[in-house]
Amino acid sequence: MAERVFITGIGMISAIGSNVMENLRSLRLQQTGLGYTKFIDTIHRNTLPVAEVPQSTPELAAMAGMEGTAGYTRTALLGLVAMQESLQSAGIADATALPAAFINASTVGGMCDTEQVYFDILDPSKEGTFLQFIDTLDCADCTQRIADAVGINEYVATISTACSSSANALMYGARMIRQGLVQRAVCGGTEALTRFTMNGFNSLKNIDKQFCRPFDQHRNGLNLGEGAAYLVLESESLVRERGARVLAELSGWCNTNEAFHPTAPSPEGDGAYGAMKNALAMSGRSAEDVQYVNVHGTATLNNDASEGKALERLFGGNVPKFSSTKPFTGHTLAAAGAIEAIYAVLSIDQQMIFPNLNFSEKMEELNIVPETQLLEEYPVRNVISNSFGFGGNNASLVISKYEG
Amino acid sequence: MEALKLKLKQQIIEALNLQDTKPEDIDDNAPLFGEGLGLDSIDSLELMVLLERNYHIKVEDPREGRKILQSVQTMAEFIQSKQPA
Amino acid sequence: MKGRFYIQGTAAISPQESFSGEFTPQLLTLADKNLLRVKEPDYRAFIAPNSLRRMSRVLKMGLTTAIRCLQNSGVAVPDAIITGTGKGSLHDTERFLHDIRRYSETALNPTPFIQSTYNSVNGLVALQVQCTEYNNTFVHRGFSFEHALLDAMMLLSEGRAGNVLAGAFDEMSDEYFYIRSRIGSWKEQLTQPEEMFTAGTPGALSGEGSAFFVLSSTPSDVHIAGLKMLYKPSQERVHETLEAFLRQHGLQPSDIGLLISGRSGDTNFDHYYHALTAQYFPQTPEVPFKQLCGEYDTAASFALWLAVERMRKEELRHVLIYNQFFGEQHTFILLGR
Repeated sequence: MAERVFITGIGMISAIGSNVMENLRSLRLQQTGLGYTKFIDTIHRNTLPVAEVPQSTPELAAMAGMEGTAGYTRTALLGLVAMQESLQSAGIADATALPAAFINASTVGGMCDTEQVYFDILDPSKEGTFLQFIDTLDCADCTQRIADAVGINEYVATISTACSSSANALMYGARMIRQGLVQRAVCGGTEALTRFTMNGFNSLKNIDKQFCRPFDQHRNGLNLGEGAAYLVLESESLVRERGARVLAELSGWCNTNEAFHPTAPSPEGDGAYGAMKNALAMSGRSAEDVQYVNVHGTATLNNDASEGKALERLFGGNVPKFSSTKPFTGHTLAAAGAIEAIYAVLSIDQQMIFPNLNFSEKMEELNIVPETQLLEEYPVRNVISNSFGFGGNNASLVISKYEG
Repeated sequence: MEALKLKLKQQIIEALNLQDTKPEDIDDNAPLFGEGLGLDSIDSLELMVLLERNYHIKVEDPREGRKILQSVQTMAEFIQSKQPA
Repeated sequence: MKGRFYIQGTAAISPQESFSGEFTPQLLTLADKNLLRVKEPDYRAFIAPNSLRRMSRVLKMGLTTAIRCLQNSGVAVPDAIITGTGKGSLHDTERFLHDIRRYSETALNPTPFIQSTYNSVNGLVALQVQCTEYNNTFVHRGFSFEHALLDAMMLLSEGRAGNVLAGAFDEMSDEYFYIRSRIGSWKEQLTQPEEMFTAGTPGALSGEGSAFFVLSSTPSDVHIAGLKMLYKPSQERVHETLEAFLRQHGLQPSDIGLLISGRSGDTNFDHYYHALTAQYFPQTPEVPFKQLCGEYDTAASFALWLAVERMRKEELRHVLIYNQFFGEQHTFILLGR
């Protein structure tokens, strides 16, 4: 019998707060993190809204205790800030004391810093400190910087499945625990805003020039965000042995592929439906046991139509409360799955459902509308958290209240 | 108009790397998407880039794009309508 | 981890004639730079023209290897698709960076951006064979392929998959070759593969390639008995881990019939191999492989392909692969019959 996997620590940074408590506070006050970039050198700075972490890169370095340390990209620093909080939250003073896994996720790694010096690197006549960023081009750089800073080395991995990356990181870590490869895995993702991704999504014509409007009839695309989030996963036996506080249980998960189109989901949401259905089955819960779905809800035309169809197929006439928190954080790509998994934990812990901002009119293709109010004292026991991405990659997680 | 259509066909073949297709294989009125040339939504974005780079016409709304990009004929008509007489 | 993980079929595109026909190792002659380029097959036999026209080099290479591997394994639709790639499509990443600059962030073609996404090969494989099940991509330098294998082994062990397609792909572009040369990854002087072990100089010969495997629990001639990764270890820890790893499988070093080693002739890092063979495998036949495929993030996938080739031709009970990537990621893969 494979062990249950518990969430014992959470840490995060996003545009709405540099730790978990600040994020919760902004969610409660319904304060969006969307605005315009201070730090990216782009012609879109005043036209495309983003949810940028307000701290500058040197400020992040100070927060992470890495002032004056060479070669740390913004991606690595965001990750390190979140990692440190997650360990602290789990009551782990020394991460090296036990063989653990660090399963990270990123879609463009250190591109935020690399793109600023890329053409200098290509120019043989130029020499300088920018050369320390040569190796930050890939996704593994940030993972190793974070792992090295806290001393996790038994397993180190980076996953990149576009917008579902960190949900897959959580699944992978949880499966390693169930296999008995490790008793503890810190899983999540980190993503910094870049000129590269802003132009990439803009070239796909799916960035809204207004603040994004998930599940709204007039939605017109996503807004990018940045941030990092990690969850400490531990086996039931380790939790008992060290008397750890359990925040929630990661009770189910599923990964599917649309096999439909490189960048678009199937219109009926086949992959989303399969992912949610199987994750729920694994958790041993039924559709009636779910009180809240934190949807992927990017506010692109395709995603919301397809994900909405999948919700209607799975839950029939009894779709539970659902909302997209992307109007708060923007779409943080590889970090989104972990950020939203923490919001799911908070939803259970605080008995609260977060509102879907910027909604005004029901989508014509759907019979359902997202929750637009902050609901407090709402009995939340099981949450589904969805992350879907390019390449048809879908991931759903079920996060459940800890009941001993 | 005929010259514009021929040029458009050449540009489409080059932009979309339609290796075994010649301009004369593309009927002016044949649908570019679905059956016809079998293009998809990413091709439609590439064709909008083609319009922007070669004809300095910016199509913002993908829904508008779909109307313009029905066929070589509709593309040519749209380009002409945007150019000073 | 419980279970045996049998290799049902393989396929590789590499600098060798590995894709079709009988494989005979060849030492290439390099003309102008220390880079072993893959021999590309005719992709049109594997990918529809309408799909092929947009794909960049590594996408064609990865997708074709994956499709060929499924054919070689007699599997139409796998139950999972898992890949590893250190760098993904470098050509697309570079093209998009250059386009952003050249067109001043206006009128950008989205294709290079889409294809620069590390999971794009996985998506294409899923699309082509209509596999809607588990799909994952690891992007961690010298652990990318290894985690793809570990993920595949876990899926089989969980009983959640019958046939898992697992593989790796990496390409080298001229631009990235130059970038890595700025931090001394490659040998400075033009060095032929046949001289690389005797040149006594720092740096490796660069390479590229793609290799895929179908793993299942159904017995076949070769199986993966164990896999162990080591992150930034000391020499002592490499040795301790090897001892524990062999012991765990009930083996002595002398039980290993063939050692396939990732020696690259790079004087900065080859000491790991020298020390390991001297202490544990003084009498064991050792076959290095990077003179055949060059150094790249997922070169261990070529080593595994080579190991399976050898085991199918020779009476070898246990083969061990030891590889490390620029000193940071070290891997042992144990194969059995």
